[in-house]
Amino acid sequence: MTLTFSLETTNVELINNLFIYFLVVAAIIFFLVVFYIFYYLYKYNSEKRPDLPEQREGSVKVEIFLTSLATTITAVFVYLTISTMGKVQNIPENPEPFLQITGHQWWWEAKYPNSGVTTANQIHIPVGKKVLLQLNSADVIHSWWVPELGRKMDMIPGNTNYMWLYADKEGEYLGTCSEFCGQAHARMRIRVTAQNPKDFEAWQTQQLKPVATSENSNFIEGKRLFEQKTCTNCHAINGTPYQANIGPNLTHFASRKRFLADMKINNKENLKEWLEDPQKVKSGAHMPNFIFSKKELNALVTYIHNLK
Amino acid sequence: MSLYIKMPEENEPLPSLKRARGKLLWISSVDHKQLGIMYLWLALFFFIIGGLQAMIIRAQLSWPENHLVSPEMYSQIFTMHGTTMIFLVLMPALIGLGTYLIPLMIGANDMAFPRLNAFSFWMTCMGGVLLYFSFLAGGGPKAGWFNYPPLSEMNYTSTAGVDYYLVGLILTGIGSIGAALNFVTTVLCMRSPEMKLNMLPLFVWMMFVNAFLMLAAFPLLNSGLFLNLLDRQFDAHFFIPSSGGSALLWQHFFWAFGHPEVYILALPAFGIISEVIPVFSRRPIFGYKFVAASTVAIALLSYSVWAHHMFTVGLSNAVNSFFAISSMLIGIPTGLKVINWIGTMYKGSIRLTIPMFFAIAFLIDFTLGGLSGISFAIVPIDWQLTDTYYLVAHIHYVFLGGSLFGIFAGIYYWFPKISGRKLSKRLGKWHFWLFVIGFNLTFFLQHILGMIGMPRRIYTYPDLPYWKVLNLFSSIGAFFMFTGMAVFFWNIYTTLKKPRTVTSNPWNAWTLEWAVPSPPNLKNFVEIPPVHSRRPLWDLDHPDKPDKRLN
Ligand code: HEC
Ligand SMILES: [Cu+2]
Repeated sequence: MTLTFSLETTNVELINNLFIYFLVVAAIIFFLVVFYIFYYLYKYNSEKRPDLPEQREGSVKVEIFLTSLATTITAVFVYLTISTMGKVQNIPENPEPFLQITGHQWWWEAKYPNSGVTTANQIHIPVGKKVLLQLNSADVIHSWWVPELGRKMDMIPGNTNYMWLYADKEGEYLGTCSEFCGQAHARMRIRVTAQNPKDFEAWQTQQLKPVATSENSNFIEGKRLFEQKTCTNCHAINGTPYQANIGPNLTHFASRKRFLADMKINNKENLKEWLEDPQKVKSGAHMPNFIFSKKELNALVTYIHNLK
Repeated sequence: MSLYIKMPEENEPLPSLKRARGKLLWISSVDHKQLGIMYLWLALFFFIIGGLQAMIIRAQLSWPENHLVSPEMYSQIFTMHGTTMIFLVLMPALIGLGTYLIPLMIGANDMAFPRLNAFSFWMTCMGGVLLYFSFLAGGGPKAGWFNYPPLSEMNYTSTAGVDYYLVGLILTGIGSIGAALNFVTTVLCMRSPEMKLNMLPLFVWMMFVNAFLMLAAFPLLNSGLFLNLLDRQFDAHFFIPSSGGSALLWQHFFWAFGHPEVYILALPAFGIISEVIPVFSRRPIFGYKFVAASTVAIALLSYSVWAHHMFTVGLSNAVNSFFAISSMLIGIPTGLKVINWIGTMYKGSIRLTIPMFFAIAFLIDFTLGGLSGISFAIVPIDWQLTDTYYLVAHIHYVFLGGSLFGIFAGIYYWFPKISGRKLSKRLGKWHFWLFVIGFNLTFFLQHILGMIGMPRRIYTYPDLPYWKVLNLFSSIGAFFMFTGMAVFFWNIYTTLKKPRTVTSNPWNAWTLEWAVPSPPNLKNFVEIPPVHSRRPLWDLDHPDKPDKRLN
């Protein structure tokens, strides 16, 4: 029988522990400072001690003692910092990312190089596996941060950054863009869905399916409008000539639970509202306002909402 | 008995605004006292504007999905709030105090370059005017106070606000460089002949060291600003990655200025505290030499810490380690200072005046801000918490709890000297308690908001657990601060209406500015009192037990 202990602490736990050590030391120092201030204020108040106090200049011994103490504490934290840093941010020589995320004003593009899946905004990862993330930006600086899954890392145009992401439990994890990136920065939130590996595989297979088709006349009309109204200048649909990358890939749009970088629940009403006037929904978004008739809108919504 | 008998002085005050051509006499003045006062008024004016912006920010964030201001307006407001408070409030307030006090404290009649002094002031003023003119020219700057490209470049921010930001800050930067040159030269060349460098009052010493920091930091900022201006106006590509530039280059420029800037705003406040605490503890500063030397250590180290603002940009672990170590090291001399200030109170006879109140608040809140600063030097913690409200809390603890409380202490302390009237203690207490309680309520909670995931610079937020209540209380705190400031203004206003009653040395202080009448005459010193130690007025008052002679 082999006894295996998992002594591996996750990156987030490592950082949390470090933060707790810091908090304890900081709290002690702060307490001492506050204590001595109030104690002296009380004890050496001029009402109690109206006489002129002795004019002393200080004490070299005290200074040296306290400086050495401070230096020792600092040395401990330097050690902890450097060792933790090495554990959290140990990127292999030739990184092979599991997931590539590109920040756009104000949405996230996600690519899985191994499987070829491309999606946006709702990002899936398998649980129990450290996944290597590659981060880029298509325009301005963004910053990827899902506090429960790992560190924060900036996405800088012209640079490529890597970091580890790890979820030990299934579920939805919230995060946010953490570098001011313009008007809709507040609306650039992240939702990561961590699934058990089987569900994750199923999700990937589903994302790789060719784009949905239908004989429904509304669907066909919607598809025609989608191509005619220049939507395809910005949005990609896999398996078609339309491969633009200004807006999110819509091939399997309807399979996502939320859209607009976690801003809205993905249902027909919200979608309609968005297409009716994008600026009203997400002020600043780089999608123009098309003026559609009711019929056109219905057709478009039917089309997009069947892109499962 | 004192051997020094003061010569009678004729009374020639600063020109009154009411007098014929009084306004002209102020505008065209090259007198350091008048310029110092104008700096302080400038700071006060912009403090009102920056404060109102802060109130709008807190009102907007009081609850989730609030629609008080549009996202676009919000970006302009928070950008201008930061820019205003740093470049148009804290800088002029501290430079103003320095301009007013340095000559008086070293026994000089004016700065070394009086006309440069006026030039610096008007440059700063002009920079502020240009910055705000942007609102009439299509909208204020909206890329944050540190203006990161590519967001600040033409393709992403095409309104003229950023251009006004660049030109405005170039001007205030020139003003700051001029002021720094003046401080250095004045301290080196204009001291009373008896005053050796190691006898400088600590406020002067710190302004002196600080001036070197400014001389090295602002040219960096200005070159960065200039490059960005070239990008925007002449299609250069310094910071545009898509055409071969580097977005990170700006960050290096900006923070190589920006971190020294943090100390540029802190050191003068340290100087004020180093004057106030000894005077009101009736004891000389504990460890003058350590306080003075640690200032130099801070100044030198502050040049090797800038990349701690960039721990998340993806620098290598080796580079990050270097900046982590230097950033932690800088905590040591800073911590030493706090210890020395507390040590000064030890076995003193502490008078609880309003300046002392603010000095105490400074000690406590600045310590908290310093400690949270250390957590950012611990790189992995920075990786989680930077750019969140935890960071917002930290900078406010440093800039308000540190610099601003220092300035308040300084204003209450030197107001009698400057105006000949003491600010009301009763109103001062109201100001103090409202402001300090409000401040801690607002910003302490923001540490927690950051830890639970709230990023900075968002105009609204989803209704996640605890976000609403913490934000609401944070906003309530802001309202307390606002009320406190109203009391402060009322205090200044009513005090200025009263007659001048203050004697030359109302606090029983020891430095030379207290040897002249309050307010001082147009010509500061007819005759400089003898200076043999760091506390010339103490020696005069206590001829039986003077300080150790240093010259
Ligand atoms: C100029 C480029 C552009 C055009 C043209 C355009 N879009 Fe968009 N679209 C965007 C951008 C950018 C976003 C992302 C907005 C955001 O979240 O900030 C977007 C988002 C969307 C979304 C939500 C995607 C998600 O997962 O969040 C849908 C659906 C959508 N667009 C549909 C359309 C349709 C239908 C048309 C044509 C009528 C269209 N778009 C035309 C740029 C464009
Ligand atoms: Cu972003």
